[in-house]
Amino acid sequence: MPLKKEKEPLIMHPRPSSIVAALYTLRDLDTDVVILHGPPGCSFKHARLLEEDGMRVVTTSLDESGFVFGGHDVLVEVLEKVIERFNPRRIGIVGTCASMIIGEELHEAVTQVQPDVPVIEVEVHAGYRDNTKGVVMALESALASGIISEAEFERQKALLKEATMVEKRHGAASKEYLEPNRGDLKYKVAGRLLELIKQGKKGLNILNAKKETAFMFADINLAVAEVAQKLNAGSNIINMANLDDNVGLPKNRRNALEIKGDLKEKGFKIHHIIGGLDEYPVAGNTADRIIGEKYKDYDFAVISGVPHALPMDNIKNMELFSITNGPRQVVPLKEMGHTHVVVEIDLHPKTLGVSHIVESEFGATLRELAKDA
Amino acid sequence: MPKQIAIYGKGGIGKSSTASNVAAACADEGYRVTIIGCDPKSDSSITLLRGRRIPTIMDLMREGIDIREEDIVFNGYKGVKCVEIGGPEPGIGCAGRGIIVAISLLKKISSAIEDTDLVIYDVPGDIVCGGFVAPVKKGLVNEAYVLTSGEYMPLYAANNICKGLARLEMTLNGVICNSRGALNEEKIVSEFSKEIGSQLLAFIPKDVLVQTCERDGFSVIENAPDSDIAAVYRKLARSIMGKRDGKIPVPLDDKRLRELTRI
Ligand SMILES: Nc1ncnc2c1ncn2[C@@H]1O[C@H](COP(=O)(O)OP(=O)(O)OP(=O)(O)O)[C@@H](O)[C@H]1O
Ligand code: SF4
Ligand SMILES: [Mg+2]
Repeated sequence: MPLKKEKEPLIMHPRPSSIVAALYTLRDLDTDVVILHGPPGCSFKHARLLEEDGMRVVTTSLDESGFVFGGHDVLVEVLEKVIERFNPRRIGIVGTCASMIIGEELHEAVTQVQPDVPVIEVEVHAGYRDNTKGVVMALESALASGIISEAEFERQKALLKEATMVEKRHGAASKEYLEPNRGDLKYKVAGRLLELIKQGKKGLNILNAKKETAFMFADINLAVAEVAQKLNAGSNIINMANLDDNVGLPKNRRNALEIKGDLKEKGFKIHHIIGGLDEYPVAGNTADRIIGEKYKDYDFAVISGVPHALPMDNIKNMELFSITNGPRQVVPLKEMGHTHVVVEIDLHPKTLGVSHIVESEFGATLRELAKDA
Repeated sequence: MPKQIAIYGKGGIGKSSTASNVAAACADEGYRVTIIGCDPKSDSSITLLRGRRIPTIMDLMREGIDIREEDIVFNGYKGVKCVEIGGPEPGIGCAGRGIIVAISLLKKISSAIEDTDLVIYDVPGDIVCGGFVAPVKKGLVNEAYVLTSGEYMPLYAANNICKGLARLEMTLNGVICNSRGALNEEKIVSEFSKEIGSQLLAFIPKDVLVQTCERDGFSVIENAPDSDIAAVYRKLARSIMGKRDGKIPVPLDDKRLRELTRI
């Protein structure tokens, strides 16, 4: 008898798309131009944002007749035009629901055009339950074309599996429906945090952010360190960050270096590196181990980025200040036991196309309040 | 590398019965055979399984089953491996997508299409969308055959299929005539074959045995092994298993096609 899989429960709120995940992965692989083979509006907002990071995204603009008669010819045309116009060193071709349903073969166009630069083909659509599928597919194709090593591929795959689990446990995939929520008032939360610092309480200041979002999340940790310094409580704060620049795809390493450079300039000392920028699903475990060994008795913890990836074991007795960029992350974090949850709304777009730390609202609020302290 | 073939032809012309009889005949000769039913009505392997209907890949997928090889590959007559892709009821959903998804799953979890001597893809009569040519496009078919009678409409469909094959730069390895008792049928189909740059491999007469065996859930090879019609299928099977080079077909224009059927 066939084994029946436990049927995955339905999730109704919209979630990140696998197509978009593939696009971001291609960017991390330093792809110059990506052709989206599908309808003109598909993934528009992210395609536009990615241009801020210097990657061009174009579309084959499949229309009704493209759906009916197929889009091979236009894909060939766009591929030729892309080579001519952008002179790219690396090209990506990404599928969409529309082109995949009608059975378009991305490879056929590549065979016909024969570009003399590598082409990463990703036959992805948006119908996968976990958007990490889009990342894996892009990486598989990068592996096949020799752009990444087998070892890096396996490393990434393991991380993605963890990322998917993190979302299932306490993230966007943890419930049938998650209500979006703006989180606690920044002004009030910042006030409470200052109070604790002033009282000389001991605190952990943890950055565990996903890739480029660290450009803004780091500003929060920086602000915490700055105000503590100002209140002569700098030595009560222990800083941890997932800013290892020796791991991950080229862009992630670059970004870790840039952020560390900025932090250093501002006199911010990282006591513990807990992983790389793509290790946010597992860096929390490293932090947890260190806390268990050294800081179990601390009074509070500020966790920015992906706070729900940090195990609760060693921090459950602390007053937790968590900063996320997902309005749908507020409820799960509260349920986990995070005391204060703050949302940096629309954070991601502001961290594209930058190479320095970007000011955060919560960081700014904290600094402003500390002025009168 | 196994011989991987697909038999194309007008809807209802006899592709599935030819495919299963050829499969059975090849199994008799000692070949390892796999038949993949690519038709949502999943009727390709039924006469190799004594009338039994096997679960289809798409049905299991829909039920959310963690599909293993033994759930979808079944041993039929003399060990012929039978797989049915299945798909939606007519008029619902997207059968073509089903074929694409099922083929890639099959490739991943089963060696049935590699570790064998002959794979037959039984496709529905009308290649209505990209999904139905997925086996060809994914490089899983290396020989194509066209099945037709000597009547104008089946030949018209056969000619259209040749257009499609030519566009995919796929070779045609032979034409099979499944007789419907039209006048001069063998001559017409033979002439058609020549003109498109191919050859007539077999003339299968119309024989009620095909239908009676089918109704009982058998191929004629199994249930009427000594019949004349069984001998015809055997000869065809041998001819398919023999080595032959295919050629990209050159389709005829409609005028010539009409003339041809007037002989
Ligand atoms: N040589 C033959 N003599 C008598 N009956 C035949 C012969 N070949 C096929 N048939 C009958 O014709 C009918 C249609 O055949 P079959 O289902 O094989 O066609 P098909 O081409 O596979 O159709 P579809 O395009 O719908 O898949 C069946 O009932 C079959 O038994
Ligand atoms: S349905 Fe799929 S193809 Fe269409 S816009 Fe959405 S993601 Fe793109
Ligand atoms: Mg059939």
